[in-house]
Amino acid sequence: MVRLKDRYLLVNIVYADIPPGQKGPVPDLLLYNQPTIGELRPQTILKGIRSQVNALFGDCGSGSVERSLQVKYLSTATSTFILRISRAHYRLVWAALTFMDRLPVKDGRPCIFRVVRVSGTIRKVEEEAIRRAKLLVLAAKDEMAGKASSDALNALFRGGKDSARNLALVNDDHDDAKIDEGEVSDG
Amino acid sequence: MDNNKKQSASGKAAADSKKRKEAPLNQNQQGKESRPPARPQKRVKFQDARNIRSQPSDAALDDGKLDLQKFLSAREFEIKALETSMRKCKSANATRVFQQVPREMRRRTASHNAKRVPKRLRDRAKREMMEDNTPTVEARKRRPRTTRARIRAENAKRLEKLAARKRKRALQNEAGGENKDEPGKTTIQTRAPRPKIRRDTLNEPPKPKSKFKKRQINKTWLPTHLWHAKRATMTEPTKPLWRFAIPLTPTQKCYRPTHRASGQKGTVFWDTSYMSTARLYGAAGGIEQVLKALGLVQESLWGNRGRKWRSGTRTWSGMVSRRQRNSRRDIGPATILWNPTLTAETAAPESNTTELKKTQRQILIRTHPSCFLELFDELVKLAKLQTPQVHIEDLRFEIGSIELTGPGSTETLLAVLKPYHTEDRHGQVFSSLVGVTNPASLPKDAVLGFSIKDPRLSYPPKRVDTTSKVSDSALLDTLTQWPVEEQVKPYGLFDRDVRFKASSLAPQKSINRRKGASIPGQEMPVTAADPPIPVIAFASRPAAGGQAQGTWTLLAPWKCILPIWYSIVHYPLSTGGNPRLGGLNEQRQIAFEQGTTWFPGDFPGTNAGVVWEMEQRAQRKKAWDRRPKGKRIEWASLDLGAGRKGEIGDGLACDFEHLFGLPTDPSPSSSEDQLTSDVDPNAMDLHPGEEAEDAAKLGKVHKNTVPSLTMVEQMKKTDFQALISSVNPGRPPPRSIISVNITFVTRGVANACARIYRLPSRPSATTTVQSSETEVPATDPVAAGMGSLPADLRDQWLQKIPGNKSGSRSTKAITAHAAPHMSRDVGQGTRKQLMAKSLVSGDPLPYPRPTANQTDIGGGHPLCPGEEDLIGFVTAGAYSLSGGKGTAVGAISAEKAFDMVKESGTKEGRLCIVRNAGENVGWLARWELV
Repeated sequence: MVRLKDRYLLVNIVYADIPPGQKGPVPDLLLYNQPTIGELRPQTILKGIRSQVNALFGDCGSGSVERSLQVKYLSTATSTFILRISRAHYRLVWAALTFMDRLPVKDGRPCIFRVVRVSGTIRKVEEEAIRRAKLLVLAAKDEMAGKASSDALNALFRGGKDSARNLALVNDDHDDAKIDEGEVSDG
Repeated sequence: MDNNKKQSASGKAAADSKKRKEAPLNQNQQGKESRPPARPQKRVKFQDARNIRSQPSDAALDDGKLDLQKFLSAREFEIKALETSMRKCKSANATRVFQQVPREMRRRTASHNAKRVPKRLRDRAKREMMEDNTPTVEARKRRPRTTRARIRAENAKRLEKLAARKRKRALQNEAGGENKDEPGKTTIQTRAPRPKIRRDTLNEPPKPKSKFKKRQINKTWLPTHLWHAKRATMTEPTKPLWRFAIPLTPTQKCYRPTHRASGQKGTVFWDTSYMSTARLYGAAGGIEQVLKALGLVQESLWGNRGRKWRSGTRTWSGMVSRRQRNSRRDIGPATILWNPTLTAETAAPESNTTELKKTQRQILIRTHPSCFLELFDELVKLAKLQTPQVHIEDLRFEIGSIELTGPGSTETLLAVLKPYHTEDRHGQVFSSLVGVTNPASLPKDAVLGFSIKDPRLSYPPKRVDTTSKVSDSALLDTLTQWPVEEQVKPYGLFDRDVRFKASSLAPQKSINRRKGASIPGQEMPVTAADPPIPVIAFASRPAAGGQAQGTWTLLAPWKCILPIWYSIVHYPLSTGGNPRLGGLNEQRQIAFEQGTTWFPGDFPGTNAGVVWEMEQRAQRKKAWDRRPKGKRIEWASLDLGAGRKGEIGDGLACDFEHLFGLPTDPSPSSSEDQLTSDVDPNAMDLHPGEEAEDAAKLGKVHKNTVPSLTMVEQMKKTDFQALISSVNPGRPPPRSIISVNITFVTRGVANACARIYRLPSRPSATTTVQSSETEVPATDPVAAGMGSLPADLRDQWLQKIPGNKSGSRSTKAITAHAAPHMSRDVGQGTRKQLMAKSLVSGDPLPYPRPTANQTDIGGGHPLCPGEEDLIGFVTAGAYSLSGGKGTAVGAISAEKAFDMVKESGTKEGRLCIVRNAGENVGWLARWELV
């Protein structure tokens, strides 16, 4: 039987535009994982991705992405969303997300779209989202307890260098089959 | 609500329209509340389940500022939302109930019907049907359409009333008569009737329940029939096989799984209760005489080497035969087992043999149902000749059997068969077989006879613990020493009373009750109500030998087969999965993959084989007739190359009649003397009287005619080998065939009815000159055909053996017959020249180009030898999964095979060419005796 094969992408929006010297009383953890403004709708995300894909891959790329791209979940409060895209073209979307450096709204804030998990089923993506949320909660609680803030941040991101390496590792992965197993996650 | 109204208003017109209506509202709920229509409701439910809730960004902010508490609550909300979504998605899956039915029980037709799913799923199925508004028809409530149906319906209604009245009257009588008929309460306790077994005549099949009687008029059901009928393709109701309804193949696809389960992992098992058993009893000397008359004359059986067999701890399996006018004719394969006596024969000194011969002994003969009647008649005839007379009992419906093969077979049997008496020697040996993965690793033809507990007491069977077994060396000791001879007792299965007692098992209801009363998971203790079930298990090795898997055969009383069967079906194998069901086709498949013959299909030299072959011919003919004319093989126009046209003999048959020059298809009117006059009289060894007898035995299909195929005889492998190796050999009898296993040397796959040729002989020097120089008169078609075959055909075929470089390839001979077409590797210049030449000459290059097959046959591939080189036919052939190439089982003329081996040695003499019926390409193969 013919079956449509999809990939689900779990994406975090990370705000890294805080100048290092201007830290307020708020811990770093919250600064990076800020809520996104309410104008960000699923449609605007799609529009942004499509235009980026068009810029990167031309009409062919945007045409192939057009039909199957869909936002399954968008939570602006936690700056997390889940995308669905056909298995053949998920890399185009991923690349587009990597190149997007600000929110696709008017006067969008600079941010990073971080793909943290690619999976064949939405279930696994949801599980990963839950895991990450739990980790963040734990880190935030540590923060409240007054432990060293930098430690908590490190626990989450494993330092700036490490996270970069992890991202590189994620981007390195080209194997569909491996992605099925869902090892593409960091943090 | 209004939906319902609309339906009733539109009435019949609406009912006839094809579109499916919305589900009617539930009649019971109509008053309480009006539900929305089911299908949109369902869609809403699915959409809802797939929606994940989320919060706006304000929820994570405290008046536009970042706040830790709000941050945490937003995360917690997200976690909860995702978890609920996952949970809801799981419950709202879109599968229907009938998709959960086990694969092998799934059906395609009417799968939506709630009545056709297992009981536990029926409620859900009903609900789904209602929600989907699946149209259903209840046969009982359908309006009768025909006059006859109307009358029947009216009758049924009247009968119902009558029955109700009768019931009421009975109730009244009972209420009134209870106090006055006090003494009538004590009734006489009777025992269940023991089935009658008559001596020296055939036994009646068991009386079926009246509910099933009508379906068993012309046949008998196996004890597991109802189970099988749901899971396997059975023989057609009107066309039983060997008077039984036999499962042919499981409904589930299983060709490759069967191959795996039989050789690598798992078990295949069959209910072979259709196999016929007979008991012979009387003086030992008389029995010996009878057996010798059946062809068991080998010295190894009656001498010291056969002691174990005669004492009853080994079986003997082989072909039994009967005496004809001056030769022997095979009846079929049989397994013979002696019942041990209390005073072991081995202990007695050899001197008083006369006394030994007078001791009463019993044997069991187990044979195939297709040849049973023939064997039984022969046995009765032989038994009557003995003094004191030996008697014979037909135990066909008394003893049933189950066969298992594959690495897991021993394990399965160990889990199911629990010895009843712990001190029983055979039972102990059997229980110590933990870890055996091939029944063939037991001593050859080993027998174990003991009594088992009712398998329902330990149902469901538990996995046998292979880890805690004693040690490999202990098992090896058991297998090599096989300590079963000491204190061997007569097998219970021979005893009619023991069998009968075992047959009266406790009903399933009482077992269930006891199970309910005992602790769950614990094995139930044996009580007086559970009789011991006598069984005999014997392991047999495949005839091919080697590493092939052996087979366990379990004999048990007919009525005990079903409980054993259920336990075997549900045994969880240690390698995973359950034992696999097999049918008749699977039996044949496994035999084929092991390179052995299968009775009766591969034995056209026996009467049972002849009947089988005739039926197969009729089936093939029917299938051929059904095809449209353009799509079926036109036998007459088959081009065999070298001017030969038409298939040799009948393309739909293993045409041994053609091979041996027997009269084909004698019409019913033709008398016996015509039969005899057609063939040369000195070779005619069938007595007319016996022929008639044969005809009687061959069943109804060919009542009036004796197929001339019955004149073909089967020759044994050992006889043939003895002939080959003897210094001054005679010749094999004319019209005798031997069974062979054929393996293709390079490529090729044979089907049934494929023709087997020997390699064509090299023409001697004088004949070559003749054939090349002298003009053969055109009037002689045979000679003309001969002349056009290349003289070095044999060498061409020998070239086909890979690695055979001797002798340069004689391309000339081949190209002489090739169509003149341009070869691919000619240069541009030559190409142009050829083109110009062909244009000028007016004889253009053939266009369209000849098909690959034609060029193969005329050019690259050697032609098939002539009809005089035909030696036999393939009876079963396919691509063999175990061999990894095409193999086949067939029969070839013993005389021609003998000549081949004598002339060209054992290596080259065993090469043959196999060509499928209706095709013109032959492939080189090698034959081996089976």
